[in-house]
Amino acid sequence: MKKLIIFSLFLFAVNACFAQDFKADIATAKSSYATGKLADAHFALEQAMQEIDMIVGQEVLKLLPTKIDTLTSNPKEDHVMANVGFVGATIHRSYGLQGNASIEIISNSPMLAGLNAFLNNPLLGGMMRDENTKMVKVQGYKSRLEKQGENANGKTDYSLQVPFNSALLTLTVKGKTESEVLALANSIPMEQVVKLIQ
Amino acid sequence: MKTSFLLCLALAIVALPKQSDAQLLKKLKDKVNKAIAPPPTTTTTTDQTTAGTATDASGKPVNKGGGGLKNTPPPDVNEQIADAEQAHGAAKYSDARYSLQQALIGIELQLGREMLKSLPDPVAGLEKDTLQDKVVSAQWGWSNLTIQRIYTDKKDKQLTVTIGNNGMYSGFVMMYFNNAYGMQANADNQNMKQVKVKGNKAIIQYDDSKGYTLIVPIGQSSMIVWEAINFADETEVMNTANAFDIDGIKKQMGEQ
Repeated sequence: MKKLIIFSLFLFAVNACFAQDFKADIATAKSSYATGKLADAHFALEQAMQEIDMIVGQEVLKLLPTKIDTLTSNPKEDHVMANVGFVGATIHRSYGLQGNASIEIISNSPMLAGLNAFLNNPLLGGMMRDENTKMVKVQGYKSRLEKQGENANGKTDYSLQVPFNSALLTLTVKGKTESEVLALANSIPMEQVVKLIQ
Repeated sequence: MKTSFLLCLALAIVALPKQSDAQLLKKLKDKVNKAIAPPPTTTTTTDQTTAGTATDASGKPVNKGGGGLKNTPPPDVNEQIADAEQAHGAAKYSDARYSLQQALIGIELQLGREMLKSLPDPVAGLEKDTLQDKVVSAQWGWSNLTIQRIYTDKKDKQLTVTIGNNGMYSGFVMMYFNNAYGMQANADNQNMKQVKVKGNKAIIQYDDSKGYTLIVPIGQSSMIVWEAINFADETEVMNTANAFDIDGIKKQMGEQ
C-alpha cells in the first residue's frame, strides 16, 4: 500500500513536470511566433506535442491493468518513450518475471497507417488465417492473434495485435491457451485507451 | 520473432526500400513530387466535357461538373495555440494534439510563403511562374514541409525547385554519401556523381528523358532539389543552383 501511494505520487510529480514543460514550450512558441521567428515557434510546438504524447503515455499506463491473470506488473519497467521525429510515443508495461507478458502501444504514428494497411491486407498476409495466425475480435476491435512457438510449460506463446488508425496495441503473452490470452486482452480497457492514443 | 520480422518488412516496404543508386534518386524525386500534389482548395467551377455518354462502361454516372472546393485560409496559429492550451488544461489531450498540429500547419504554410518570396527571380533567364507555386504541409506536425517553385521560358526549358523538410528523405541522401560502394565511377556513362553547391555536398544526376536533377541535403532534415529540363549542360545547372541563397534557406528552415 505504501509503495502504491509512493508510486502514485511519483506519477503525479511526473505529470506535473510534463505540464510545466508543456506550458514553457507553448510560451516559447507564442513569443517566437510574435517576433517572426517561425522556425523557433515550429520547434517549440513540436516539443509541446511531444510533451502531450508523454502525458498521454502516462495516462494510458494508469488505465492498463496492474495484474494480468496471476502476473503482476513491473513498475520499474513501465516506460513511455517519445518516438524519433516527433511522431507519437511508445508505451510499455511488462508483467511477471522475465517478461512473461507485456503490453506495448505505439501511439499517434503516421507510419503505422502503412503498417496497419499491411496488417489489414489479406494479400500481404495480414488479417488472414493459417495454422499460426487468425483474426479475432477483442471488445469489438478486429485483431490479429499469432502463435509464436511453444513455451517450456507445453503451452503456446501468443502475440495479439490490435491496429487502430494511427496506433497499434500489442499484447504478448507466454505459455497460455488461446482462450486465456483473449480473456487477458479483454481485461484491457480498450475503448478508454483508444480515446487517449488517437 | 515473426511479428518483429513482419513489422520490419512492412517498415522496410514503407520507409526503407532497397534500391540501386539511380533508382534511389528516382525514388527521392518521386517522393518529393508526391508530397507536393496540388491541394484541393480551388473555387473554380470545372467545365468538364463528357465523352458523349452520361455513364461509364459500368453504368456509373460520369461527373459533369461541380462547385469544386472553397478556398479555406490556413489555420490561425495564435488561435490554435490558445485552443491547445485550453484543451491541455481540461485534460483533453487528443484535442490538444490536434490543435498543435493545426498550429504547426499554419506556421509551415507561412514559412513556405515567405521562403517563396525570398527565392531569386529570374533564374537562368527563366521567369518564375507564380501560378505553380506550392506550399504543402503534412497534418501530422512532424517536419514534412514541401515548397515548390517553377521557372520557365514558356517554351521547353524549365527549372523546378523543391525545398523539403523531411528527415527520412534527407537521411536517404546522406546514406548515399556515406555509402562508398554506391559511387558510380564509369567515366564513359557516368550519370550520377557527387558535387558541391556553395560548399554543400550534393548529388547531380542526368537522364535523357528527364534532364538534370541536383539534390542538396541541408542541415539535419531538409533538402533542396533542382530539376532542370533542357538545360545545356552540367555547368549551367550548377550556375543556376549557385544563384540561390542556400544559407538563407537553411536559416529559414531552422537548420544549421
